[in-house]
Amino acid sequence: MSLVDAATRTGVQDWREAVLTSAQLLVDMGSATQGYPQACVDVVREHGPYIVLTPGLALVHARPESGGVELGVAVLRLDGPVEFGHEANDPVDVLLAFSSPDQSAHVETLSTLARALGTGLADRLREAGSAGRLRQLVTEALDAN
Amino acid sequence: MRQQPLQVLTVCGVGMGSSLMLKMTAEDALRDLNVDAQVECTDVSTARSMTPDVVIGQEMHTQDVPDLAPVVVTVSDFLDRDGLRQQLQEALSEQGWLP
Repeated sequence: MSLVDAATRTGVQDWREAVLTSAQLLVDMGSATQGYPQACVDVVREHGPYIVLTPGLALVHARPESGGVELGVAVLRLDGPVEFGHEANDPVDVLLAFSSPDQSAHVETLSTLARALGTGLADRLREAGSAGRLRQLVTEALDAN
Repeated sequence: MRQQPLQVLTVCGVGMGSSLMLKMTAEDALRDLNVDAQVECTDVSTARSMTPDVVIGQEMHTQDVPDLAPVVVTVSDFLDRDGLRQQLQEALSEQGWLP
């Protein structure tokens, strides 16, 4: 069972702020350390904006040794998208951040999320009215496994 | 020559998030094509020491390993099962690797 939280934000300026904000949700619920959000930014700076893995959606994460404490999933929806510099999948308005304590604890959760995204989860997140509804949608998707 | 089952590697920067999602999509697409395949995900650095038949990733990573496998497939949408199936169908067909 993974920890889940969600938020919506307006006025986020750029991809760095979006990544930091989504990963901070993981810190706030105790599933990642204080250094984890910056590690997530560093992944994009080092390896490019590949975490934007489908149009409009970024999978925010860093290595477990960068501060993963527990399995956690956080959703941030931006009411006003940001550009990551991805040539095909920009702009981004949904960020899914996750943390994992090791190389395997997250596999089942991410597999479940991949299936849910394949059946329209991202658009349901875009239509959700509140952070509470976002959290509910993700929790339901994870429980469906 | 290819391995049996087909060895497929999905790559990304960290090797545990995006490439894992791509692995799920690739498994679905290969199942659609009735190809018996073993799909693993990893980061692009580790990938250099492996000998897969097929590599799949975003351009920013596949361009780093252009000669790693006989078939290198570049995708931008990691969740597009139909698109990946079409690309794999074309690429595997060229090699004579489709059942």
